Amino acid sequence: MYRMTKDQEGAPGAKPRRNVTSDLLGANTEIGRKLKQYYDELVSDDVPDRFAQLLSQLEKAAPAQKKD
Amino acid sequence: MAVSAGFKTDLLGAIPSLRAFAVSLAQNADKADDLVQETLVKAWDKQTSFQPGTNLKAWLFTILRNEFYSQMRKRGREVQDSDGIMTGRLAVHPSQHGMLDLGDFRAALELLPEDQREAIILIGASGFSYEEAAEICECAVGTIKSRVSRARTRLQEILKISGEADFGPDAIATQVMGSSAIA
Repeated sequence: MYRMTKDQEGAPGAKPRRNVTSDLLGANTEIGRKLKQYYDELVSDDVPDRFAQLLSQLEKAAPAQKKD
Repeated sequence: MAVSAGFKTDLLGAIPSLRAFAVSLAQNADKADDLVQETLVKAWDKQTSFQPGTNLKAWLFTILRNEFYSQMRKRGREVQDSDGIMTGRLAVHPSQHGMLDLGDFRAALELLPEDQREAIILIGASGFSYEEAAEICECAVGTIKSRVSRARTRLQEILKISGEADFGPDAIATQVMGSSAIA
């Protein structure tokens, strides 16, 4: 059987004050794991060059006194 | 205003996270990149209003989020994939002991209302605290907490997994199955 360990005795209804994140979405919950997997995959996507180019352009056009 | 060089480097460093958040919100890669672009331009223009030493990522996420919602409003609240259609397409099988497919998970995320989706992403994936997420979403901490909790419940229902409720009384599982059968 698939069992996950929990720090505290999970008396139903006993709402832990702290570490709500780890309780709700921690690495020991399936939703928590999937969420991180989903997001990490997005974060590790290659960043298109257009963003670096954009920032270089912005840098050239003086920041505070923009001459439009 | 000599901050530019460092600021630019910091912005560059934040792009992967911004893109991830943008995709999570917009559920579309092209729209997401447009959002990121708009965010970078706005951030650049407003760079003097950024307080060095505070959380740049949170600041950028706030800008991106505002941009997302203002675009949505302009487009007249774009056709959200209607729950019915998506749910029908979602032939998610009961998960086999943690072997839940990532594609199924992605589809399930898409079914969440934006406010719940962004909350669960910010808290469960982007690594923000409830306080930071509340600031980004301009709402109360309690609101974020309840959105995260509802998002989680909804995902469990859609994906027909019981998560930690595995330990709980069977009644919970039965309830979840029951409600998703009706939905």
